[in-house]
Amino acid sequence: MKTFLALLLAGLCALMLEGVLARVFPPPWCPDLGFLVVVSIGLCLRGLIPGLLLAYLLGSSIDVLSGSLAGLHALLCVISFVSAFFAASQLNLKSTLSLMAFVGSLSFVYGVLLFFISSLFVENIGLSWRWILENFLHAWINGLTVPFVVEGIGRLVAWSEDDDSQERSLYIDSPMRPL
Amino acid sequence: MFGFLKRMSAPIVLGALILAALSSIVGDRSARDREDLPWIQGLLLDITVPFQKLLAVPGDLIGGAWDSYIDLVDLGAENTRLQAELTDLEQVNLQLREALVSSGHLDRIVEMRDGFEVPMLPAAVAGLDVSPFFRSILIDRGSQHGVQAGHPVINHEGVVGVVTRTSSHAAKVLLIFDRQSAADAVIQRSRTRGTIRGRGTSQPNFEYEARRGDVEVGDVVLTSGLGGVYPKGLKLGEVTEVADLGGSLMQSASVSPAVEFGRLEQVFVILRRGTGMELLYETGEFSDPDPSPEQAAEAGASQAGEGGSS
Repeated sequence: MKTFLALLLAGLCALMLEGVLARVFPPPWCPDLGFLVVVSIGLCLRGLIPGLLLAYLLGSSIDVLSGSLAGLHALLCVISFVSAFFAASQLNLKSTLSLMAFVGSLSFVYGVLLFFISSLFVENIGLSWRWILENFLHAWINGLTVPFVVEGIGRLVAWSEDDDSQERSLYIDSPMRPL
Repeated sequence: MFGFLKRMSAPIVLGALILAALSSIVGDRSARDREDLPWIQGLLLDITVPFQKLLAVPGDLIGGAWDSYIDLVDLGAENTRLQAELTDLEQVNLQLREALVSSGHLDRIVEMRDGFEVPMLPAAVAGLDVSPFFRSILIDRGSQHGVQAGHPVINHEGVVGVVTRTSSHAAKVLLIFDRQSAADAVIQRSRTRGTIRGRGTSQPNFEYEARRGDVEVGDVVLTSGLGGVYPKGLKLGEVTEVADLGGSLMQSASVSPAVEFGRLEQVFVILRRGTGMELLYETGEFSDPDPSPEQAAEAGASQAGEGGSS
């Protein structure tokens, strides 16, 4: 419960911070901190069900704080969490580079799905090369930022679970490794 | 049985959450009453806005100090230019007033303007959209201050957007260049009517009928007042590029918004929905020759309300 609340609070703080950062670094240059926290939870947390609930709650919070359809980010955050959770055990994400590549790709897919689902409900949404480029740049920024977020979330999980980090699903063997 | 449930608990939770999210999406699109957010979501918005304002203080202080005390290189030249501009505008204003007085229309316009004045509420921008694929802002005024979904939001430069959701002390504003945004607009010079539609980029599109259109680069785009959201005559932006779509029935032009969204800090909420339409009825200058029973009842109620409040 302590871990759940700590991660929820951290996710909400990240969202609030992102809203302020976006004033200084307009899209696509501002990292998607909400998404990165969800992915980091998927990489660092052991429990699947608490993680799913966290992903849904944080996604719903993104929906409240953004101009999107209600439930859209909640759905995509759940999908991102599941992808990260299983990737942590199936893929070799020990190096920082592979972690960045994985999260960058996931971020790009997230953007594409967001666009696709939105286009089902909003008319004349219009796909453009500019949008694809922006999505790519945004994915790149997210990839660059993720090691720091994973480190923060890893530390938080370790602290809140009384340092039982040996049982974490992902062991990041990099200089930025939190442990 | 319990073993099966335990084994399947994660897929069941996953399925339930996906269903909940999908039903939220469908519910959101079919929702007719887009007023206050549910209390838990409203609470999140109410907490977020002051927190974001607090987080923004250091940046605002540094930015303010830079603008006010350091970045004053062109201040003298700008001051001279603005003074010259002011003198010119005063001359033009005098000439226009003289023309109006001589034509006997000034009194009538003053009377109309009194009728057109609408309550405006100043609000501060607390934060930007947390999703990079949507364009909205959070402001620090909510339903307790009289803000409702559908209220237009402007600043001194022009149209900012429209309130989409409110909590008691905060509101979400959809910016005019968001993909979900569309507003009825008119070209000031040629009176060509069309729709200004957001594309998610900083430059929305002005879409108009090719056969009747007369649009050139540099044309000023204003709200037409016919969409039922924005009052008539507010500046939306300037045409920067006219696309040639060959024989297409509809043409489009890129518009540079009048508002500098990157530096948006203070806005005004017009505390009236569908202002353009309501005001035409209120002034009595334009009355529907054959209003439907619903329209007649609405207009009557509106006039009664205005009379009661005054």
